[in-house]
Amino acid sequence: MAELPSRSNQTEFPQNRLKVRLVTPERILLDTDATSVTLPGEAGVLEALPGAAPLLTAIGAGELLLAGGEGGDQRFVIARGFAEVLPDRVTVLAEYAEAPDAVDKPAAEKQLRDGQKQVGEAGDDPAKYRAARSVVLEAEAKLGRAGQ
Amino acid sequence: MANVLDLRRRIRSVKNTRQITKAMKMVAAAKLRRAQERMTGARPYAVMLASVLASLRRRMDAVDPTTNTLRSPLLAVRPEKTVLLVVVSGDKGFAGAFSTNIVRAATQFIAEQRAGDEDKQIDLQAVGRKARDFFRRNYPTAEPRKSPPAGTGAQQSPEQSPDQAAAVPARTRKGDVEFLPSEPAAAITLEKLRFEDARALGEEIVARYAAAEVDAVYLAYNEFRSVLSQRVVVERILPLVTGKGGGIDRPEVAASAEPTLEERERMAEAAMSAGLTLRDEEGEAIRAQYRDEARRFGTANVDYLYDQAADEVYSSMLPRFVSALLYYAMLESIASEHAARMTAMDAATTNASEMIDSLTLTMNRVRQAAITKEIIEIVSGAAAV
Repeated sequence: MAELPSRSNQTEFPQNRLKVRLVTPERILLDTDATSVTLPGEAGVLEALPGAAPLLTAIGAGELLLAGGEGGDQRFVIARGFAEVLPDRVTVLAEYAEAPDAVDKPAAEKQLRDGQKQVGEAGDDPAKYRAARSVVLEAEAKLGRAGQ
Repeated sequence: MANVLDLRRRIRSVKNTRQITKAMKMVAAAKLRRAQERMTGARPYAVMLASVLASLRRRMDAVDPTTNTLRSPLLAVRPEKTVLLVVVSGDKGFAGAFSTNIVRAATQFIAEQRAGDEDKQIDLQAVGRKARDFFRRNYPTAEPRKSPPAGTGAQQSPEQSPDQAAAVPARTRKGDVEFLPSEPAAAITLEKLRFEDARALGEEIVARYAAAEVDAVYLAYNEFRSVLSQRVVVERILPLVTGKGGGIDRPEVAASAEPTLEERERMAEAAMSAGLTLRDEEGEAIRAQYRDEARRFGTANVDYLYDQAADEVYSSMLPRFVSALLYYAMLESIASEHAARMTAMDAATTNASEMIDSLTLTMNRVRQAAITKEIIEIVSGAAAV
């Protein structure tokens, strides 16, 4: 599901803007508005536009992209979270969220190595394999955008 | 009677001590303020997670009607035969009765649990050096497990079925109450607490619960409601079901200890002299601003679309809720510790001042006595001539 809203719906929201809030366990990282938000949903990337149908989704490791925000486009690396999409509001709860330049790269490298090791050790256990894969994916998300 | 020089020396030494305690009080006050800010920052996440869970909970039962199994092992209620008690204490001393209180609450809890059922086994885990040292001294230490259950950064698999997980071999116990060393718990430095630390511990606990190694998890910590109001509480954090209504907004409080009126007065005094406002109005305003919106998170009165199956969303959220609970409890405990240290150091400063006053009085008396004696000697000497 790439684009949720139908265009006709948008007339109900004259400002055509979304309130976006990114909340981590430690603080509210972001509280702003944007014209669209791209979320790394667990089942695939999805974009929320103003007037989207209410949606609740788990979030995988990846990139949160805000378009049309105040300071231009904004990117964040996020992992392990949930998002609530409402017609006028997107709220993202994420256990990990950082701006791409703020990512602790050495820690992410280590996480990647640990994760790869775990994948190797997981063997036939599907639960272990899934857990290890999510570690790797998270580390890759952190590294993929870091420093760009 | 001591001579003037000795007294002067003692006064100087007490003055030095007073300076140190005063500095410690101010440092504690500054750290308390920062700890409160961190709590304010962490609040929206905790509230949002709780409200979205509560809303999901209203939409679906804990038991999946089609397969007749629980949606998450964290909802399984078992008879409490083995209980895990996690105690959050402080890393450092000089905080008055802070660590003693929490340890006392823990031992009381253990006694009560054992009184109710003599065969009940209790595992202890400690966050913070003070409780860890106490448990290590007073209870046998469990053998380290051969294979740690939690993946380092991995999300636990909540859909793992209990009987499949129960294959973990039971460990041989040295006693009914055992201290269980835990790597993630030992790795936590409260001074520099990060959410990741709490998550590592939370995942370990969740894995142990899902594997049916423990039947309930209790958390003992200092609840911080304001500078003036802190109390020791023991809450049941797992299973994630509360008795009435089945809501999971707030864990069940199993025991609590309130401070006495006298203690409160002392706290107020300490806070005033350290320049802390008792009513945190700024924080209150921020909290109020986010509280309502946070409560509404995920609870809009509409039918949500779910990108995944709703029960998958639900069950993957539960372990995170446990981590968030732990993290928030630790933040509260840190704030309480600083408040306790501030109060204790304020009392110490007051005591030092009193001591200085009384020593100064004695010194002046001794000096005056010496002067009087000399004058008498001179006068009687003159009279004798």
